[in-house]
Amino acid sequence: MKELEDKIVQADCLETLEKVRVELFGKKGVLAAQFAKMKDIPGPEKKAFAEGLNKNKAVLQAKFDAQHEELKAQEIEKILKSEAIDVSLYGTLAQKGALHPVMETMDKIIDYFVALNFAVESGPMVEDDFHNFEALNLPKYHPARDMQDTFYFKDGGLLRTHTSPVQVRTMLERKPPIRMIAPGTVFRRDYDITHTPMFHQVEGLVVDDKGKVSFANLKAILTDFLQYMFGDVEVRFRPSFFPFTEPSAEVDISCIFCEGEGCRICSHTGWLEVLGCGIVDPNVFKAVGYEEVSGYAFGLGVERFAMLMHKIPDLRSLFEGDIRLLEQFR
Amino acid sequence: MIVTRSWLNEFIDLSNVSNEKLYETFNSIGLEVDSIKQIEIPEKVVVGKILSCEKHPDADKLNVCQIDVGSGTRQIVCGAANVVDAEYVAVATIGAVLPGDFEIKHAKLRGVESEGMVCASSELGLPDTGKGIMILDESIGELEIGRELGSYKRVADTIIELELTANRGDCLSVYGVARDLSAALELDLKPFEYKQAEKMKLGIAREAEIHTEGEMDADLLYKLATLENIDNNFLLQLRLAMVAVEAEGKLAKILAYATHTTGVILRAYESSAFTNGDNKVVVRLRVKEKGLMEVQGNDNVVSVAGVYQSEDTLANDDTKKLLFEASYINPDTLVEAVAETSFKTDDLYYKTSRGSNPDLEFGLRFLAYLMDSYSDINCYEGALNVNVDRENEKVMVDSDEISSIIGMDVETAKIVTILKKLDFDINIVSDHVLSVTVPLFRHDIKHIQDVSEEIVRIIGINNIEAKPFVFAEKLRLNDTIDRYKAKKSFKNRAVGTGFYENVSYVFSERALLDKYGFSTLEEELELANPIAEELNTLRSTILVNLLIAAKRNVSYSRKSIPLFEIGAIFGTKREQSEVISFIFSGQIEGENVRNAGKPALIDFASFTQKVGAVVGAFELVPCTYDNGLIHPYQSANIIVGGKVCGFLSKLHPTVQEAFDLPDTFIAELDFDALLPKHINATPISKFQGVYKDLSVVIDKSMNYYEAAKVLHALDLPMLKDIYPVDIYEDEKLGDKKSLTIRFFIQSMEKTLEDSDIETVMSDIMTALQNECSAELR
Repeated sequence: MKELEDKIVQADCLETLEKVRVELFGKKGVLAAQFAKMKDIPGPEKKAFAEGLNKNKAVLQAKFDAQHEELKAQEIEKILKSEAIDVSLYGTLAQKGALHPVMETMDKIIDYFVALNFAVESGPMVEDDFHNFEALNLPKYHPARDMQDTFYFKDGGLLRTHTSPVQVRTMLERKPPIRMIAPGTVFRRDYDITHTPMFHQVEGLVVDDKGKVSFANLKAILTDFLQYMFGDVEVRFRPSFFPFTEPSAEVDISCIFCEGEGCRICSHTGWLEVLGCGIVDPNVFKAVGYEEVSGYAFGLGVERFAMLMHKIPDLRSLFEGDIRLLEQFR
Repeated sequence: MIVTRSWLNEFIDLSNVSNEKLYETFNSIGLEVDSIKQIEIPEKVVVGKILSCEKHPDADKLNVCQIDVGSGTRQIVCGAANVVDAEYVAVATIGAVLPGDFEIKHAKLRGVESEGMVCASSELGLPDTGKGIMILDESIGELEIGRELGSYKRVADTIIELELTANRGDCLSVYGVARDLSAALELDLKPFEYKQAEKMKLGIAREAEIHTEGEMDADLLYKLATLENIDNNFLLQLRLAMVAVEAEGKLAKILAYATHTTGVILRAYESSAFTNGDNKVVVRLRVKEKGLMEVQGNDNVVSVAGVYQSEDTLANDDTKKLLFEASYINPDTLVEAVAETSFKTDDLYYKTSRGSNPDLEFGLRFLAYLMDSYSDINCYEGALNVNVDRENEKVMVDSDEISSIIGMDVETAKIVTILKKLDFDINIVSDHVLSVTVPLFRHDIKHIQDVSEEIVRIIGINNIEAKPFVFAEKLRLNDTIDRYKAKKSFKNRAVGTGFYENVSYVFSERALLDKYGFSTLEEELELANPIAEELNTLRSTILVNLLIAAKRNVSYSRKSIPLFEIGAIFGTKREQSEVISFIFSGQIEGENVRNAGKPALIDFASFTQKVGAVVGAFELVPCTYDNGLIHPYQSANIIVGGKVCGFLSKLHPTVQEAFDLPDTFIAELDFDALLPKHINATPISKFQGVYKDLSVVIDKSMNYYEAAKVLHALDLPMLKDIYPVDIYEDEKLGDKKSLTIRFFIQSMEKTLEDSDIETVMSDIMTALQNECSAELR
């Protein structure tokens, strides 16, 4: 018996163990031979013999199972070991591109206003004088047109200088109330360190019954919006002038670089200008045939937002497809 | 617009207003402060009196001066030529530290002791007042010998640069800015009182007359004077330098100073330009097209009101008899007329086009005051004038309406106070209704919202409490939002596939588009004023922009360049559409241990796989697009939902070379064709199917899709899928090739039997034999 047990325990691999199994438990194995002796055992001793045999078998079986499990585990461990690799070599294999920071910023802005149930509207880039200027209270030769160097076509068409013509188109198509934003590409004839001939804007417009929409409403939504975009910033409104709004304001946030202390980026004022807004000028409503309404409008430059939010130093780099910049946004 | 604190102080008492408060107030009333600069005059720079001035014994250009600096007399060597004319000067005494860390010490100049320096303005950090040293006079205040120059408020002034919005022509003068401040700071304006002593009893009518032709749309006021010895005081020169107004000559400086102060357009003519044969000054005013007004003298046009003055009629410092003119023309009329007549304009046009001060009397009075102080001038009594009866704009203002626009209760009394300070006339109609008369200089104010803007800016927007807008719920999801979402999901897939999003100008270079065979705008629809040659048209493809971006990345040593862009392109008639474009240049992946640092270059199959991962399932058939970027033998039409919606190609080797690129693939697809469509599910079979391969020999020139077309046309219900798995060519096959196609066969109704499979395969083979001249391999 001891000898048999040793055989099991000494098996050092699954193949040897299998041989031992056949030798012990096989049809022609040691145990089978023992059981075969049963028939020669006289009746009264038969029971005791059988019990002893069964007990031994159970002990051997248990030993075998334990040994098998042990060897199996060793075997797997061996396979696992043989498959070992230096995982740190492969970290660089993952390939992912990146969204453009300006487009990402635009999406974030859209998300905010869609969540507040603003409709998103769009319009053509090639516009006419009426939709881009006239209807927005910017008659020909108005000095405010100087602020917007315009690309003209030989037939008098022009590239929209802002997304405001989308507001005009929407109002001409639809009755109030209106709650919309118009994100899009716009063009100004200007090209230097801080200007590119093409950039992106998002404009917003809310129109409702007369007396319903006030400057105080504009303050509420823009303050909330700017804090959504820039985090915990102070928001300041300064009176300004836009032909299509009256009263008008420019909106500043406290400088996110120096927290209002004054730095190079905020020209040491502690404030960054980020938005223009105002109460829609009655002449704009007149141009689209709206009566007895009130409304507010605002507009912002997406590149400026993206540059501030991500501390991108060079505006023009945004239009160069430079992967060194883009891959930072993976 | 640049103003200075002490200059403003002439009209409004700012002694209790700090610079910080000024800065804050300007910003809050909509006169944005661009910069604010406090001038600091170094200590130990004092007023000195020159007692004597002699040539330096050894240097022609130097003078040796004895100067009383209060604490004693100092000998100072001075190199400025104008020191000989000077009495009072600014002296930097020993120990003074001038800007640039320049300390004044005892010195010996060519053997002569010098104990200090006589200063020019720029040496003290002041703006440049012209050549030589500053010659001080009482215009800056009482001159006390030895007094620190920095204690003179008019010298150590604060320069404030304001960025004015286009509607605020009324603030293009020191007086106008002071008026706005007075409303915001609740301070009264100091009245300007000056009564010119009429030294000459001769009436102007004896010497001059005015004739008009046509209906006048401008105001003009003339005064005739004789002049001897004109001079400028120091303050005038210093202030003009501070506000960066340039003028040549003493008379011109005085005019510029008066205009900058009052906002009234002032000119001076040689009276001879108007003198006729009878020695009389005759001014003829003739209305020209579009309401412009010509001023004529002796049948010559000497000026156009608000536009320009001909140079040969400009009075100068030597003019003995001159005609002063103050003018005003409505900017709305002026701007339109000038744009349409394309007159040349002079420096004053900026002011006239934004709206100059119509109070001509004030302008001329201020000018006379200046002239009187610094020249020997004799004015003829009276003036010649033309006045248009202008009607002031009247606006009915309901304080309740103002409150509802602003979203805050504003009391009627408050509105009255603010508007009065801004020079509006008020008639109270009822306890909340006012009839407001708008002053002429505020030509931008036409209706109640303009008035509410005035209220808002003087109250200060920051004092308005924010209130959320309550609105009725309504579904606002629309096609544009759906499109944005679809675009975003394509973008995310592209990024997941390894592409970077590119954003490029919607412009392109016409010559480049032409060169590569892309369409261009019809000539008459082309951009009239492009900003640069390489951006002189609207693009008809994004691919050229992507090539340029790829080239740039190559120059930055990038080896693998995957870019995509979704954006607008334009047809020949300038019709706008949207495409999604891809470029993949160079290595197919990064260098890593798997590829032993030598990744393969991008190839047709891999590029197709990547594009497919972004845009979804498509078919490829031989390319029918025609442009210079396409490789004629590795290009394909992309078919989505049965329609050709774009192409995919290896970049043509000549273009590849022109852009210095490694192997490159491009694709451009119509974005609208890719928008998600509604899909209905088809039933799925419960029975097992089998895969079967078939290798056939066909003509080398035959494309797989032709064979596939034949098989699809069979429309066998059990033939569920067909796809190519191998292509083989060798010499033995000659002009033939072997194509292996795999089929998936499955029935909806039953488990397949061998006979079913055989039937399908034999139908396939027959079709291929008949229609494609295929042979079993």
